[in-house]
Amino acid sequence: MTTQAPSAPRPFPVLRRAALLRSQWFLLLLVMLVIAAFTGTVNPRFFRTNNIVNIFEQISTLGVVASGATILMISGNFDISVGANIGLSSCVMAMLIKAGMPYGVAIPAGLLVAVLCGLFVGFNAILFRAPSFIISLAAIGVFRGIALFMTQASLQTIYGKFEGLGSTRFFGVVPLIFAVSLAVYVVVGLILRYTRLGRRVYAIGANEQAAFLSGIAVDLNKIAFFVINGLLVGIAATMLLSRVGAAQPSTGAGIELQAIGAVVIGGTPMTGGKGRILGTFFGVLLMGVISNALNMLQVSPYFQDVTFGMLIIFSVAISAFGKRRGRRAALLR
Amino acid sequence: MDSGEVVLSVAGLTKSYGAQRPALSRVSFELHRGEVLCLVGENGAGKSTLIKILSGAVAPDAGTVTVGGREFAALTPREAMGLGVATIYQDVELIESLTVHDNIFLGSELPGRLPLTVDARAQAQAARKYLDLVHIDIAEDALVEDLSAAQKQNLQIAKALHRDARILIMDEPTSSLGHEEKRSLMRLVRDLSARGIAVIYISHYLQEVFEIGDTILVLKDGEQVATHRRAEVDVDSVVRSMVGRDASAFFRREKVPIGAVRIEVKGMRWAGVVEDVTFDVRAGEVFGIGGLVGSGRSELVSLLFGLAPRDAGELVIDGVAIEVHRPADAIRHRMSFITEDRKRYAMFAPRDVVENVAVVHNELSGGAILDRAGERRLASGMIDRLRIAVSGLDQEIGSLSGGNQQKAVIARWMLEDADLYIFDEPTKGVDVGAKEEIYRLMVEFARAGKSIIMVSSDMPELLSMSDRIGIMRAGRMVRIVDNAGIDEQLLVKEFIGI
Repeated sequence: MTTQAPSAPRPFPVLRRAALLRSQWFLLLLVMLVIAAFTGTVNPRFFRTNNIVNIFEQISTLGVVASGATILMISGNFDISVGANIGLSSCVMAMLIKAGMPYGVAIPAGLLVAVLCGLFVGFNAILFRAPSFIISLAAIGVFRGIALFMTQASLQTIYGKFEGLGSTRFFGVVPLIFAVSLAVYVVVGLILRYTRLGRRVYAIGANEQAAFLSGIAVDLNKIAFFVINGLLVGIAATMLLSRVGAAQPSTGAGIELQAIGAVVIGGTPMTGGKGRILGTFFGVLLMGVISNALNMLQVSPYFQDVTFGMLIIFSVAISAFGKRRGRRAALLR
Repeated sequence: MDSGEVVLSVAGLTKSYGAQRPALSRVSFELHRGEVLCLVGENGAGKSTLIKILSGAVAPDAGTVTVGGREFAALTPREAMGLGVATIYQDVELIESLTVHDNIFLGSELPGRLPLTVDARAQAQAARKYLDLVHIDIAEDALVEDLSAAQKQNLQIAKALHRDARILIMDEPTSSLGHEEKRSLMRLVRDLSARGIAVIYISHYLQEVFEIGDTILVLKDGEQVATHRRAEVDVDSVVRSMVGRDASAFFRREKVPIGAVRIEVKGMRWAGVVEDVTFDVRAGEVFGIGGLVGSGRSELVSLLFGLAPRDAGELVIDGVAIEVHRPADAIRHRMSFITEDRKRYAMFAPRDVVENVAVVHNELSGGAILDRAGERRLASGMIDRLRIAVSGLDQEIGSLSGGNQQKAVIARWMLEDADLYIFDEPTKGVDVGAKEEIYRLMVEFARAGKSIIMVSSDMPELLSMSDRIGIMRAGRMVRIVDNAGIDEQLLVKEFIGI
């Protein structure tokens, strides 16, 4: 069977504990429990069902966007235009609904716009061999400009229409949009783990050259990643529109940074090639819990941004230490 | 010229990387004022390590470097520069977007009248003196990116002269130069030497060495095997001291029957890199490709595998001409390619052994869903068969030893049972034990009737594994020799072209 490296036989339980501690999601869970316990003690309202449901509802959109970002970041790509994409596609949907189009036309049209936006970023990045980060940076202006022109910068309200998705709660507790975001996590997780496409996400992110030499159609697959990301952004836009009941070009602005932050907190390195959807799930959840906890503790909302910034630095630090330890171990070998 | 004072002396320099044989072992020599010392040796003989030590990029394990009257156990790059040791690499160390004079004065700019400004005019004037010294006839305010390779090289020399260099180290300075440029570089080296500057000159080209060298130091497998005065030696004896080695370096492979021609390469061309290469490989044959670094060996095989668009030529497998535009095409035609640079072109370092071994298999087996149990079974079969030392199937390939990484990469192609195996430097960075296992594996492929193309810089490897050897020089396959009754000496002569 497998040849054992000389130093390998270690007591089994120690190994298990070390592996558990090394996995980022477990750490995030611990941090979350500590925060929850603390907040709950100071303000018992934190643990009320209503508040918990609130948290779930608040993180649903971010979760869907972060799932797409997870695929892209593992593959070594970025799309920071997703916020502007949400703005554009939700405006399209809102305007069509306002104009009296049936949901069956308006929503798919919005999804299509979102997919095309994702395709636009991926296609240009590949065509011009440019970092997708830069292309998507430029795309923000393009998407937002189109949205502004279309709406003439006015708020598109659809109050009283298309509320089902945003307001439905199963058993009066579980928000439908949270269920949708859970389904997205699961589907993305399945793609990453069990499909050839998912394997290519990791391969291209780990070493694009080697992937090409192994016969992987790198460009085509990258396009597919951007398209999937676009579709998920469209779903997020739909959820947001239904919940808020209005859209404007600036809808969704800033969510790209939160999503990238959540993915990084979840343990996916900026360099790609690694990462799991479970990490992203806990990253998003942690951000939701902290945001809610800060409200409950009556911390100034302005301070929340500071907290998220520090949180991202903190989680990057954790993985940097982990890497350094790994390198030292490799040297000792 | 040995009447001059000693400007540099090294004693007992030794350096090893990892557990393999030392890259450099007990090298000692003296360099005099105005002397041109030529360093020769095959690929991997230790020349680069030696100049890295002298320029302060690498610290030796043992030995001393004495320069400027001070003895050092290890130099830092700053110390080396401060003591007048300048190393000229090929067109690195210049800033392309700055002017010629800016580059010469980089780090010691002439101050202008206003604080924090540079007096460009004064710099340009001062630069002229150095440019004339190295015979470059270009405007001082030309941008470096507009210079030719030869001019860039001379500019680096000018820069070194400005820094008052007394010892110039030149690493393969003529390898990218045309004939005329070579001649003028030779003249420049002689000029510099006449001015009292000592030169350490590394070159594969023995004609150059005999033209300008005062002393010829021969390195082989990290050992200093001979130090000749140029006047007292001829080309043949230098070649002899470059190559002779004991038999233990050779692997004794078993011969297998060789069948009909399976692979035909006809008129393969990549303008400026590979010119009109034609050869064939038979079933069960190991076709070696040898030549100096930069002779177009690796480029030829990457062309075959579809990594670059070919300008002309045909690849025929089993009588059928095949179109290869990208690696995926080559793979579909049952070709495989074990690249020279594992880290850059083969390994998915942060992924586990299973994913690394199964990647090609997964690409070729259709369907959207992975057969995860199947790929684990296949990978663990390969791990057993190739005896890859892993702590478990989910160990990251990046954390394996070089030899095990290489075996895992080979396993990737074995799963698909390719017909043509292309190895580019099959045992680079692989320890001795694993080396033999890889050789045995190659023989196994040959016995199964596969064709093997093997590019190698390692002479014993080339000689002990190949059935025939194609010799590449300046992009052409100048000769194909049967590996019977040829020796290293003859090969080296063919590589160099004498």
